[in-house]
Amino acid sequence: MSEHEPNVSRRTVLTTTSAAAIAGLAGCSGGGGGDGDDGSGGGNELELLHAWSSGDGNAAIEALIEGFQEEHPDVEFAEEPVNGAARSNLDQVISNKLQANDPPSTFQSWPGKHLETYDGALEDIEEEIWTDDLKENYLAGPQEQAQYDGRYVTVPLNIHRINNLFYNTGVLEEAGVDAESLSSASDVVGACETIAAETDAVPFAHQTSGTWSTVQLWETILLGEAGIDGYESFINGDGDTEQVQSALESVVELSEYYPSDSSSISFTEANTMVMDGDAAFIHQGDWAAGAYSNADGFAYGDDWGQVTYPGTSGSYLLNMDSFPYMANNPSPEATRQFLSYCGTAEGQVLFNAEKGSIPPRSDADVSALNAFQQDQYDDFNAADNQPPSVEHGLAVSPGVKTNISSAFSGFLEDYDAAATADALISAFN
Amino acid sequence: MRNPLTVLRRRLSEHRELRADGGTTSQAGSILDRDSVRSAPFWLPPFLLIGLFIYGAIIWNIVLSLTNFQGLGSPDYSALDLENYVIAFFGGTPSWSSLTVDPIWNAAWNTVVLMVAFSVVCLAVGLVMAILVDQEIRFENTFRTIYLLPMSLSFVVTAKFWLYMYNVETGLVNLFLGAVGVGPVEIVQNPDIKLAAVAFALIWQFSGYAMIVYLAGLRAIPTSHFEAARVDGASTLRMYWRVIIPQLRTATVSALVVLTVFSLKAFDFLFSMYGGYQPGPSADILATRMVREAYSNGNWAYGSAIAVILFVMALAIVAPYIYTQYQRGEL
Repeated sequence: MSEHEPNVSRRTVLTTTSAAAIAGLAGCSGGGGGDGDDGSGGGNELELLHAWSSGDGNAAIEALIEGFQEEHPDVEFAEEPVNGAARSNLDQVISNKLQANDPPSTFQSWPGKHLETYDGALEDIEEEIWTDDLKENYLAGPQEQAQYDGRYVTVPLNIHRINNLFYNTGVLEEAGVDAESLSSASDVVGACETIAAETDAVPFAHQTSGTWSTVQLWETILLGEAGIDGYESFINGDGDTEQVQSALESVVELSEYYPSDSSSISFTEANTMVMDGDAAFIHQGDWAAGAYSNADGFAYGDDWGQVTYPGTSGSYLLNMDSFPYMANNPSPEATRQFLSYCGTAEGQVLFNAEKGSIPPRSDADVSALNAFQQDQYDDFNAADNQPPSVEHGLAVSPGVKTNISSAFSGFLEDYDAAATADALISAFN
Repeated sequence: MRNPLTVLRRRLSEHRELRADGGTTSQAGSILDRDSVRSAPFWLPPFLLIGLFIYGAIIWNIVLSLTNFQGLGSPDYSALDLENYVIAFFGGTPSWSSLTVDPIWNAAWNTVVLMVAFSVVCLAVGLVMAILVDQEIRFENTFRTIYLLPMSLSFVVTAKFWLYMYNVETGLVNLFLGAVGVGPVEIVQNPDIKLAAVAFALIWQFSGYAMIVYLAGLRAIPTSHFEAARVDGASTLRMYWRVIIPQLRTATVSALVVLTVFSLKAFDFLFSMYGGYQPGPSADILATRMVREAYSNGNWAYGSAIAVILFVMALAIVAPYIYTQYQRGEL
């Protein structure tokens, strides 16, 4: 008997393994050829893909879905957070799904030029969703980003601002620097010099292991120095090399005041330096403020403050998320209802209260948002222009953005402003 | 169906019989035939699966690299050409894009440097460690575990770990350099040493694996060889150089193949260390370039072409060695 036992178990193992392999094969072919016989389900099940799998992003999307389901209790969500490094994994999943002709109902996407990635898979939603109400209440900048090739294809949900300068009030007071008085990028460099001389704090918290922080710093400085016209010329592929180089040189000047270990730290660590009083300034999108509001004893106005990045007053540099409507939609009716809800002030306030960004609609009742968000919202409505961000995918097509990031990966190695300026200009060719 | 174990046992014993009398070839052929058919349930499923998913995928990838597949939709297999390879080697503006595409020389060179430096140093360190651990020292198992442990970590963990180790202010590497009077040295974004720093971290992670493979090889060498060398008056160095190391060829090949594959997988490491697909020109390897082209830009066919080049490079490094081993009859 004991001699027989192993045989039986081996055979079982063999059978199980081949069964599993066959099941796996079946699963593969089903996924490849599947044109949504299970995906469409009841027809009212909305497949929503996003990368907000944790933290404030997750709370925000949950609040939005909850608000939506109060109005449309019949719509079910096959909601799928795609885990991993923020957005890049999500983009891969979406590409793979679209290539298998299995589009989701909608997904988290940058609007603007980034939509080129999904060229041909987007549907015009001007009639059903972009009603006059939306057109009247979205400012020109965000509204332009909702269009691809002149057609409305997506609904922007939130706006993170890029041209901020956050500061630790205590450190600035100790150094005798008044953030409000700074009016150009070179003033920031001057202030950093004072802070370095007067305090032990690092003047300008920044991370340089990845390129993104430096790209958005440079684009902010370019917007300030070259003005909205110079900035728009650049993103349209018609930039002025001298302006681009001069903005890069300002970044090089600022880099003198980075933490000495900037290449080994992350954005979170850099931001924590500001919170701990180890650093004075940080340039970031306003997600940086999310960490401040979660910290005990670090109050807006008293302990930290924010100014529009010196030189860029009048501009609200946009980073947005949006939900596009996919052609060949697995749940057309439910998706339209959901996107329409995302276009309401109510839905946007629910989402942004958690996310720390502001609603793209200019008529929202923002009393539910915190004091900092309300100030940002006032700035937004008062802004002369709302240019799109390069780093955050709105302003340039994906291929150009890759070229720009590559140029900056070289810049972080040698800080050669002239060579990088040439690379940035030729990024469009 | 017969009991598989019985079949296996019989097959083994048949072989032994054949070897013993060495004569009846016609009978041997028919038995072999029947055996191969009978053993089909064992080798056929993995053969088909590997054929489809490994070799099928490689061939599909090669075909894909000849198309102009870009963006969404499906590839057009009717017009195949070598344009992607021309672009890869000479640069220019391909027909499927409005942007100029740089050639891959920089990334290819970095890949070769990383692959060769990593594999060679890893093997050398592993060999030395294996010889040291083989000296019947105390706590041998403990040392073996300690050396092998880094390999069990994922690239993501080791990348973050070395990002900290290389920190200019608080990293151990710079503390050590400071203690011997050098530094502090910027490492992570320093174009001169960035690739070396990546290679160093990978060597740290995988030399333990080379050690284990060599240790197994050393254990397989009969003690009489050591003793004979000693009796003939060879010094320790000479004994290892002339007698022992030449017998470790098979171990070297198997370790080399695995290490080469690991060095190609350095993508994960760079991705984690530099927070994306942009490690910078002095550490950019073909794998990062490939993913950038495919997933940032949607240039699928061009990405496939880079993958094929990467594949050929890996073959070019491993194949000659495997071929000589095959000729020597050691594989």
